[in-house]
Amino acid sequence: MSLYESAVKRPIMTALVFVAIAILGLFSLTKLPIDLYPDIETNTIMVMTAYPGASAEDIETNLTRPLENALNAVEDLKHMSSQSKENISLITLEFEYGNDIDDLTNDVRDKLDMVESALPDAAENPIIFKFSTDMMPIVILSVQADESMPALYKILDDAVATPLARVDGVGSVSISGAPKREIQVYVDPNKLEAYNLTVEAISGIIGAENMNMPGGSFDIGSDTYALRVEGEFTDASQMNNLVVGHYNGQTIYLKDVARVNDSIEERAQEAYNEGVQGAMIVIQKQSGANSVQISDAVVASIPELQKNLPKDVKLGVIVDTSDNIRNTINSLFETILYAILFVTIVVFIFLGRWRATMIVVITIPLSLIAAFIYLLIADSSLNIISLSALTIAIGMVVDDAIVVLENVTTHIERGSDPKQAAVHGTNEVAISVIASTLTLICVFFPLTMIEGMTGVLFKELGWMVTIIMIVSTTIALTLTPMLCSQMLRLHKRRNKLFLRCYEPISRGLDAFDRFYGRLLSWATSHRKSMVTICVLFFVGSIGLTRFIGSEFMPVSDNSRVTATLEMPIGTRTELTRALSMDIQSRWRELFPEITKISFTVGQADTDNTFASLNTNGSYVANFNIRLCDPDERDRNLTEICDLMRKDLAENYPELKKAQVNLGGGGGGMGGQTTVDFEIYGYDFTTSDTIASYLSSKLRNIKGCTEVRISRGDYLPEYQVDFDREKLALYGLNLSTASMYLRNRINGSTASLYREDGDEYDIKVMYAPEFRTSIADIENILIYNNQGKAVRVKDVGRVVERFNPPTIERKDRSRINTVTAIVSGAPMNEVVAAAQKEIDLMDMPAGFNIELAGSYEDQQDSFRDLSMLMVLIILLVYVVMAAQFESLKYPFLIMLSIPFALSGIIIALAATGGTLNMMSMMGGIMLIGIVVKNGIVLIDYISLNRERGMSIRRAVILGGESRLRPVIMTTLTTILGMMPMAINHGEGSEMWRPMAWAVIGGLTVSTVLTLLLIPTLYCTVAGAEVKGKRKKLHKQMQLKADLGLK
Amino acid sequence: MGAGYKQNSQIMKSILITFDQAYQHRIIDALDKFNCRGFTYFEQVQGRGTNTGDPHYGSHAWPSMCSAIISIVEDHRVKPILDHLRYMDEATPMLGLRAFVWNIEDGM
Repeated sequence: MSLYESAVKRPIMTALVFVAIAILGLFSLTKLPIDLYPDIETNTIMVMTAYPGASAEDIETNLTRPLENALNAVEDLKHMSSQSKENISLITLEFEYGNDIDDLTNDVRDKLDMVESALPDAAENPIIFKFSTDMMPIVILSVQADESMPALYKILDDAVATPLARVDGVGSVSISGAPKREIQVYVDPNKLEAYNLTVEAISGIIGAENMNMPGGSFDIGSDTYALRVEGEFTDASQMNNLVVGHYNGQTIYLKDVARVNDSIEERAQEAYNEGVQGAMIVIQKQSGANSVQISDAVVASIPELQKNLPKDVKLGVIVDTSDNIRNTINSLFETILYAILFVTIVVFIFLGRWRATMIVVITIPLSLIAAFIYLLIADSSLNIISLSALTIAIGMVVDDAIVVLENVTTHIERGSDPKQAAVHGTNEVAISVIASTLTLICVFFPLTMIEGMTGVLFKELGWMVTIIMIVSTTIALTLTPMLCSQMLRLHKRRNKLFLRCYEPISRGLDAFDRFYGRLLSWATSHRKSMVTICVLFFVGSIGLTRFIGSEFMPVSDNSRVTATLEMPIGTRTELTRALSMDIQSRWRELFPEITKISFTVGQADTDNTFASLNTNGSYVANFNIRLCDPDERDRNLTEICDLMRKDLAENYPELKKAQVNLGGGGGGMGGQTTVDFEIYGYDFTTSDTIASYLSSKLRNIKGCTEVRISRGDYLPEYQVDFDREKLALYGLNLSTASMYLRNRINGSTASLYREDGDEYDIKVMYAPEFRTSIADIENILIYNNQGKAVRVKDVGRVVERFNPPTIERKDRSRINTVTAIVSGAPMNEVVAAAQKEIDLMDMPAGFNIELAGSYEDQQDSFRDLSMLMVLIILLVYVVMAAQFESLKYPFLIMLSIPFALSGIIIALAATGGTLNMMSMMGGIMLIGIVVKNGIVLIDYISLNRERGMSIRRAVILGGESRLRPVIMTTLTTILGMMPMAINHGEGSEMWRPMAWAVIGGLTVSTVLTLLLIPTLYCTVAGAEVKGKRKKLHKQMQLKADLGLK
Repeated sequence: MGAGYKQNSQIMKSILITFDQAYQHRIIDALDKFNCRGFTYFEQVQGRGTNTGDPHYGSHAWPSMCSAIISIVEDHRVKPILDHLRYMDEATPMLGLRAFVWNIEDGM
């Protein structure tokens, strides 16, 4: 008994099997996490090696190079880049995607073990760590504070950071902008000199006085008592009365030579939210944890946390990455529902029967729900890719069911019993249903084999669609015949109202059939003109490519902008802050779309992981901006960012570097397209010259909105050159002398002040007003062992020097990168223009420029995809050739693919889309979808010929009878994609080009397939018949000749 | 041999019924209805009509198939069965139902 026979004979079993699948699927749906993309495996490992005291160039020669040479041998290495800066060497290894990062880490460790003995003795052991997208903050909270400002760090640490760190999945919580409490003892150097005191002495006295000491225990009578001295300060002001020495018989108290400040640390990052000072709390997740769940938990706990805070401290959310994820997924879900609705309407219009429509449409939810089971098993999530796959599939899953239903209906109309009709009707079309599914699987299954960044996106899509197609074919061969046998009846009574409504539709469809018949008969009798028209059309559409640019990924609008503004190096925090305030209020006016704006300025604390990963310093301001939702504003993210860049460039000449990051710069996808021009070469000056020349040229190219050079400036600094002979003369050495300098300027930590279980540093240093000039440094007194003092200027010189910047290397040679952000012009045009400039440049020997960035990614992916496309076309050809048992006709059908390309080009040119990964994906899908139409057509035409019709009659009748199924399946696919194409919700930029590509390609290729393929069929089949006749004729001739002899 | 093969002193006739597969249940129901227990059933046979009717070849061009039943029945049952089959054929002419009757010479 065949599959469909048993399905029809056992309706309850069949129905319940699918009910069970639906229940399992819905259960899986509730368990599925939500994410933006499928899991992207980490492919980056960093090796960090410290070598205290070494300069950038020393680090490069002694550490980075030997390490690079060893690490270069690790397998699957794609790129290796390194930074050598003072004290530290940082090597980043980027691997090909799809490798197990743990294996790679072991390899790296092995290689490091081998090279370790060759490293300088003073260098520390290399540390390996894996870098991943998990390091990106998932939630950033803003804090506004007023009178609690000085104590903000402690308040936030106790009341916010600690409880948040306990939330499941939260990795680290760091507080930026809230300075830590510190007790400063600001001394006056003149008074110290007068009383013969030193910073060291004072700090020693404070350390000695701030003490608790257990004195042991002793017995009094029958009891034992503990003895203790509790000398620790209970208030900072107690220090004022410490005795620090005697002079001329008078006691000198600390307050006589210094002032005690119970305050906050001097140099800290400051955070401003909406212009009010406060702090930022940055929350990172544990690797592998689900962002949406965590941010839900974090956001939900805010009201509770707020209760425990003082009244003036207000918490808010600046960045919630899960917002974007949730909105994107919701708008995709909406798209799916619309697609189902549209497809239902199309099916109903063409079939004209409710029951038949129901039978067909039930396939959609069932096969989609089944795909959720796969997602759960594969440990995946509801993300852009898996949901796009569902939308793509909606139009296609009904096709098989429609074919089966149509044939069963034909049988019933001939008078068969519905049960028998269902079995035999399905049996007759089973092979062609399976073959057409196979062609689609030929398209989607190879997608699961792509590697690299593209693979991450396509793998899941490939699996999803393959599985959905298999499920939908199974449904078409089991559930659909079963439902047909139960629900379809021969003599239906029809509602009069319904008939009246449906009558015009049915008449319209009939008229359309006749129109097509006439058109087809014209086309088949004017074959040459038909082919010429098509060729001209194709060539014309190729001409339109000029209007289509290319990029890697569409820019996704997640309403976030970050900006890093750098003043000239060394600018004081106060100036940077004032400028930032100004920019903030200006942007508030210029961009009413801004809903939240906050920034940090100043040097970040080293124990704040997140802040120290970003560029920071007294001259740097980091902006974090949130805009309102995309559908509430007229300008999109790209336009706003471009305007911001323009504003910064025109109105703030004092900025040395300005970087506006669209989308918050998180992750490789969805951000703005960049082209990196990597200048390889050893000499600093030459590569700097090339870089600045190139960047000045790039700025003039249309479409380059922001150009920046990776190599930093030489850092200006003061150095004290001690004269060792003079030092020795005074009985000093370099380390003592430099220690004196450090204690006075940076301060010496005398002791720890304890309060409520927390410890704060007590720092002794020169009061700020005594460390503002070179003279102040020169006048610092250094004491030797005999207590004799000498000034710095007597033993050394204070000189201004420039410190070389970080040395960057990539793939083992020095590199300086010029990065251009492309906006407003397609990437390929910008690259072409830049390439022209580069070709004109007179490149010094040993230097070369290479292209990287999104451009490199794009080239890689496009190459992968083109290869894949060839593979897919071959596979599809194989399946079709096997089905038709012919090599000619599949080739004919394949001719609809070029017209799909024309359609894509026209659609992209008309909608202003670009050729990117997503539209390429649409193109690949089209291969499977468009040949399906051809298969249906040719299959029926050759069936007609087997039934004994002449070629033209077979073609015209076949075309007429297959018109509706072709139009119907095409319309379901197009309308299934339509909501994707016109949806303007969050994240829709991502898939819009793909939807338009499919819609355009399918429309054009269907129209032309319906005319061109029958025409060509006539020609090919005619030639075949003529050939046969000739052969026969020859044989007859031969026979006649022989007969004559 | 006279009137041919007899069973229980009844003259037996053979009826060959050919029909589209989809008729199978209804034909057997009809035989049951007229108390014809015995028959031989060929599930898949090919054929085409003399004047009209699609060929039933089970091929790509003509995917449908016929079945055939031979039943040996008492003489007096032949007419009602044929009448019934004729009625069925008139209701659904597309299914190509045909029946032919032979004399049975002998049997065991």
